[in-house]
Amino acid sequence: MNKILKNILIGFSAIRSSFTRVFLTSIGLTIGIFTVSIVTAAVSSVDREFAKSIESIGNDKIYVGRMPWSFEFDWWNYRNRPEIKEEQLDYINQYSEYVTQSSMKQNYWTRATYENKASWLQMNGVYPNYNDMMTGTKVVNGRFFSENEWKLQRRVAIIGGSVGEGFFEGEDPIGKKIRLGGVSFEVIGELEKTGSFTPTGSLDQVIIMPTTTFQRILTRWTWNEFVLQIDPNNREKAKDEVRMIMRVARKLKPDEEDNFAVNSADAFTKQFNQMKIAIAGMGLLVTSISLIVSGIGIMNVMFVSVRERTKEIGLRKAMGATNTDILIQFLSEAIAIAIIGGTMGILLIRTTLYFIGSAIANIDINGMGSAIDLQMDLLLTFYTFMVCVFLGLIAGMIPARTAANLNPIDALRHE
Amino acid sequence: MTKSKREIIGIKSVSKIYNLGDTVVKALDNVSLSINENDYISIMGPSGSGKSTLMNIIGCLDVPTKGIYKFNNEKISEMNDNQLANIRNEKIGFVFQTFNLLPKLNSIQNVEVPLVYSSFARAERSLKAKEALKIVGLEDRMSHKPNELSGGQRQRVAIARALVNKPSIILADEPTGNLDSKSGSEILNFFDSLHKAGNTLIIVTHEDSVAKRAKRRIEIFDGKITLDE
Repeated sequence: MNKILKNILIGFSAIRSSFTRVFLTSIGLTIGIFTVSIVTAAVSSVDREFAKSIESIGNDKIYVGRMPWSFEFDWWNYRNRPEIKEEQLDYINQYSEYVTQSSMKQNYWTRATYENKASWLQMNGVYPNYNDMMTGTKVVNGRFFSENEWKLQRRVAIIGGSVGEGFFEGEDPIGKKIRLGGVSFEVIGELEKTGSFTPTGSLDQVIIMPTTTFQRILTRWTWNEFVLQIDPNNREKAKDEVRMIMRVARKLKPDEEDNFAVNSADAFTKQFNQMKIAIAGMGLLVTSISLIVSGIGIMNVMFVSVRERTKEIGLRKAMGATNTDILIQFLSEAIAIAIIGGTMGILLIRTTLYFIGSAIANIDINGMGSAIDLQMDLLLTFYTFMVCVFLGLIAGMIPARTAANLNPIDALRHE
Repeated sequence: MTKSKREIIGIKSVSKIYNLGDTVVKALDNVSLSINENDYISIMGPSGSGKSTLMNIIGCLDVPTKGIYKFNNEKISEMNDNQLANIRNEKIGFVFQTFNLLPKLNSIQNVEVPLVYSSFARAERSLKAKEALKIVGLEDRMSHKPNELSGGQRQRVAIARALVNKPSIILADEPTGNLDSKSGSEILNFFDSLHKAGNTLIIVTHEDSVAKRAKRRIEIFDGKITLDE
């Protein structure tokens, strides 16, 4: 063990004497590691954000809308589908065994203003019990609207987590009057800031109000959705059941296709996973190319090093170095080059992520900034390190074997 | 040379044959040689005579094609690479014509090289290296690199490196070939004193003046020993 260590040290000391060459070679790997890390960090960040979104969509919910949550969006087919109507929700409430709670959710985008500030926000018209069904966020300041306020079509609004920051700049939003689509509303509640996304947009950029007010003041032409609370264990059964009820409610003939879609978080997961695989696949391709190229670079430099030090190898062998000694010496030199490259890569990626992080935090586009949270954990650094060691080992193997198998007599005579 | 001395090297009918395609070169042809403890031997011969081959075989850098080579009664001719490396490390000290010091290392580190391949701790290594450098009279040049030393001093570092593991034999290949006559004779005087101290020395040379110093002269020609006195 001690002997191996000594050979490793000899290998490492060779780095010091030809540092420029080593540095330039290791840059190849720096770039390689940089791409690996960027891709991994991106995928894991997207992953984390997605987990948050899934939480706010809710595993225990299904959503009925005109369009499926899909990236293969057949707009011309879906746009002609009839509107999801409130009375169809009555059918579901009446006939479904699995749905325990339900709410209408109407979506509409309009201009929200407060004093001289304006923003384009998503309005959600919902039922009072929507308060109990929200996942991923909750009212943290003020309150939700009541049954009575819903019945009386009161102009009350619950604002999303980052709406208040923009409009009221740290002041308590409760009791403030904001104008939505030109009509004055009173802010009665504020949601917790989540930084997450749903298929319909950021949960932090919404304004929630009673459906009654929504229809009276804003518009009757909305994009409607049913939010249905279910037991997550029965999700598939519930989706089938709701689909059948909807077909009946919409009087579809057996040979007609569904003109609505029953969505749930898992469909979204499937789409997301495809996207993630695509990102990761591209990343893997770019990464493996750059790793291979940098590996070849290391191998090349190692061949130069072996050639340059043939006489040294001969001498060391004459002094009693075994083939294994020489092998370890040159392998550790190759690994050291790889580790230098990898360390530079890790440092580079860390600084880059730091600057990206702070830059985005400063811009904060519609609350998206807080959602893009690129991170790189220690475990990943460790893996990167291991990749470097492995790459150095692979790239150094052939040159090191060449060195180890040199005949000491010929090597000593080499000039 | 008395019979009572222990035999270190016993070479019996050793041949080294190189097969170069059509032609077969007999670098050594049925050579027998016995070297005892505290012998002081010079090996002479023109280039191509086989003296380098003999030297490589004695130095365990090469193995004979035929014949038996015993070193301290161990059969070298049947050893594998690792065993040979071990013998070279512990039993043989090499001194080369071109010194072969590692340019990036200082004197102590250069002398330490053989110790690195045997199992000595760091502190012990540097202690032994310093001792060896003292023997060759370079205690004031310990942290100098080879390019800061004169030719004679470099060769003395190389001798210290050969001595550091207390080898059974010291094998010098044209040790004065790259030196001016003054430092050359210094080195040779030093070899004389090493002999007096009980070391076994084998010097390969083609200079008569060098060969004369040895107590036993071996001449080799066309792969055969032509003189041994």
